[in-house]
Amino acid sequence: METRKSLIKIKPKKYTTGDVVQVSFMVMHPMDTGMRKDKKTGKLIPAHYINEVNFTFNDTSFTTMKTWESLSTNPVFTINFKVPGPGELKVVYKDNQGEVNEKSKKIKPKG
Amino acid sequence: MQRRSFLRGLGLVAAASAVITPSMVMAAEAPTGPNALTIEAALQAITGGKAVVVSPLVHLKAPEIAENGAVVPVTIEVDSPMTEDNYVKAIHVFATKNSNVRCADVMLTPANGAAMLATRVKLGTSQAVMALIETSKGEFLSASQNVKVTIGGCG
Repeated sequence: METRKSLIKIKPKKYTTGDVVQVSFMVMHPMDTGMRKDKKTGKLIPAHYINEVNFTFNDTSFTTMKTWESLSTNPVFTINFKVPGPGELKVVYKDNQGEVNEKSKKIKPKG
Repeated sequence: MQRRSFLRGLGLVAAASAVITPSMVMAAEAPTGPNALTIEAALQAITGGKAVVVSPLVHLKAPEIAENGAVVPVTIEVDSPMTEDNYVKAIHVFATKNSNVRCADVMLTPANGAAMLATRVKLGTSQAVMALIETSKGEFLSASQNVKVTIGGCG
């Protein structure tokens, strides 16, 4: 199983409890549609795309996504999140070939 | 004069057909993909035949002209208080002429604080990007915007 590069960004960088922040999750993924041909061999590249993204905070899910191949290569998902306090933000993502990966980030509100 | 204008008209027709043909071919091929689904079927599956209202509460931001169809940024914001009894339950994003029109179904909760989704989609041809919003009251709101694509993203 390949390890994928991913990143969670929080905007703005400084926030306090109760603030609504933007959480961006980026992942390096080919998101192949299954309709594109390999230029060298002429064979179709099998579909390979993320089909589930789950955002959790302290193991409580707050946003779930079902996605399809119409998203771009190396997709970005940005949502809002109201910071309830310190804890751990985790993103679990699955793709149609059975890969399951996760990425987490500590939430540390100041003040 | 007549001959000249006739020839000019001929040239215009040729140019127009040259421009249209590649996109026409793509549109004809599109519904044969592995996950092919039309926009009518996708809407029917989600709303179950309920009325969809085009609402000014839904703000969909997408470029009017996208140079590269492979990466088109789309931002959807909904004016909603996001409280326990009135919040946006789901945001569905569609690319109306892709072979699989579904891009993402995002299920939100009041913990999000504000209803917003920003992502990047692939567009095969020039088409409308559509957002369908489901509220906790069971209403369906929508917004859409046309995006002109110079180079398709499905090749």
